[in-house]
Amino acid sequence: MLKCGMSGTQVKVFGKAIQALSRVSDELWLDPSEKGLALRSLNSSSSACGYVLFSSVFFEHYQWSASKEMNDDGRSLYLNCKLGMKSILPIFRCVNSFERYVEKCKIFTTSDKCKVVIQFFCRHGIKKTHNVCFQESSPLQVNFEKKMCCNTLMIQPRLLAEAMVLFSSNEDVTLAVSPLNLCLKSAHGELADLTNSVYSEMLVGPDEFDFFQVGLDTEITFCCKELKGMLIFSEAVHVPMSIHFDFPGKPVALSIVDMLLEANFILATLAGNSSRSCSPQSLCLSQAGKRSDWRQLNSKAGQRGMHKPPECISRKTTPKRLCPQGTPVKNSAAEDHGSPQLKKANLDNIHEVPRSSVGDTEEEPNSFSRRKFSSMFFGAVSSDQQEHLNQPFASLAMASDSEDD
Amino acid sequence: MKFRAKIVDAACLNHFTRVSNMIAKLAKTCTLRISPEKLNFILCDRLVGGGVSMWCELEQENFFSEFQMEGVSAENNAIYLELTSENLSRALKTAQNARTLKIKLTNKHFPCLTVSVELLSMSTSSRIVTHDIPLKVIPRKLWKDFQQPSVPDADVSIYLPVLKTLKSVVEKMKNISNHLVIEANLNGELNLKIETDLVCVTTHFKDLGNPPLASDDASRDRDPAEMAEVHVDIRKLLQFLAGQQVNPTRALCNLVSSRMVHLDLLHEDVCLQYFIPALS
Repeated sequence: MLKCGMSGTQVKVFGKAIQALSRVSDELWLDPSEKGLALRSLNSSSSACGYVLFSSVFFEHYQWSASKEMNDDGRSLYLNCKLGMKSILPIFRCVNSFERYVEKCKIFTTSDKCKVVIQFFCRHGIKKTHNVCFQESSPLQVNFEKKMCCNTLMIQPRLLAEAMVLFSSNEDVTLAVSPLNLCLKSAHGELADLTNSVYSEMLVGPDEFDFFQVGLDTEITFCCKELKGMLIFSEAVHVPMSIHFDFPGKPVALSIVDMLLEANFILATLAGNSSRSCSPQSLCLSQAGKRSDWRQLNSKAGQRGMHKPPECISRKTTPKRLCPQGTPVKNSAAEDHGSPQLKKANLDNIHEVPRSSVGDTEEEPNSFSRRKFSSMFFGAVSSDQQEHLNQPFASLAMASDSEDD
Repeated sequence: MKFRAKIVDAACLNHFTRVSNMIAKLAKTCTLRISPEKLNFILCDRLVGGGVSMWCELEQENFFSEFQMEGVSAENNAIYLELTSENLSRALKTAQNARTLKIKLTNKHFPCLTVSVELLSMSTSSRIVTHDIPLKVIPRKLWKDFQQPSVPDADVSIYLPVLKTLKSVVEKMKNISNHLVIEANLNGELNLKIETDLVCVTTHFKDLGNPPLASDDASRDRDPAEMAEVHVDIRKLLQFLAGQQVNPTRALCNLVSSRMVHLDLLHEDVCLQYFIPALS
């Protein structure tokens, strides 16, 4: 049972987080725990994953009591609540006016566990209640050791936002660093595209950053839609944003860390030579080819619940193919009902049904460097994985969570 | 062919950005003509514009602190380039707080206009933003298509009302019909008429004033109250009005009965001429 309350100012930040996550995906997981309330989203092509954790002290009051029902292993149920962005985003549409208009906001789950209730107590005694039905689905995560990246930059969001106006949201952008400077530039597409589009480049010197550590001269390419979303959120909470990355192909982490909240966006980057060699088409084909290998690799490592960090990036060619057929998560009707049949099934089924459908999207994107990366990745965090093996349905802790322990 | 120019003054930069935004709203693709004294934005493609033509001229020394160009040859000392107008206006948008702006013609795999902006920033190192705008060089043999259109002998010349008012009126009229009648006389009266089977709407503007008559007998003999009338596609007029974000220094409308509407605007020192043909 979740029960929490926020003031008008706090709910504005909460709403901004939801808006930022809406840039990642059309689905939002509400994942409360003793630590606080986490919001998660993962996009359909598994190339971007968002996570915002509001610690329990962020709220005016926060209460999370694990349900009385226990499963066979004696572990408590998590909320496993997945909401459609289409349902929840309009509730937080006018966040900027929340400070003035909303006095208090309460969010709680009902005892029958298929609805989340969001109540706004506004001026003049007006009370707005939104009942949002959710689909039961255990949240998906990505493990990423951001502290292990060679390159870490911390920048005031305003400075980077000025650079981002150069690029439209659907573009891929390349971040190139050297110890001397950072260069943000349009990603090189196929040669044919270049004759029509403007190529833009911005150079930023190290002294504009709060923290500038470059261990590896590198260039990474990723989609700027999520970066823009994170920048807007970072500006709203007045906390600088850090960027953690390594070589191309390894995901980039954008993160905001504050006493009250923590946000991480993990984005896939183009593998291979960042400029032209990785044509979108070839990325897709190799994905299909490598799919069976990935499953083997996955089960070999015993990481059935493990989710790969996404790598496929090209929006132009990925989406339709990677979206699995007949997945319940895409069915808008399912979002409205609480999928009662899932609830009654035992935990393993609940865990698996949504997971295998969404899990497909996880497993499809593949390329040579991904495999190479995956094995490196397993090696790096294998010690952490043992404890998770026994909780197949539980959300895997983010790397940052484990550091807090 | 060479071209390089630099703007260091903030006011000049803003003015140039506004001109570029206006052009982007008036023509998707336009021709940029660079000559030693002037810069021109030209739209002369009768098919693409639906018959609309545009000629915008600015004196380069009013904008650029440095300006060097070398045309195709000594006799033909001009450069004609075709580009997507919006690319230039978006590139200039980033130059809001710029210390300097440099534009030059480059060849990076294909011809580009490279706009390079040095931004003011808090710290010692300034930020440099570069945009490479792809473009096509127009060959010498096609230059004749892009000459300054001859200003026609107008039947009536009249000053336009405040463009914002005109635009809101025309926008509402567009919902009724696409066929607009513009008529004006030498008494400072301008009417916009829309007619359908069900309704007929006319907006009257009075006391607009007419520019002094040229010493042309035809105009002098004209009865001041007589209206000259042109039928045009309302969308073309609306597109023109949408491009005018700022009120011009001077706005003139010349009507050639049943043939065309010639709009002659002056934005400070930039002159814009827009020709809308009559509906056939």
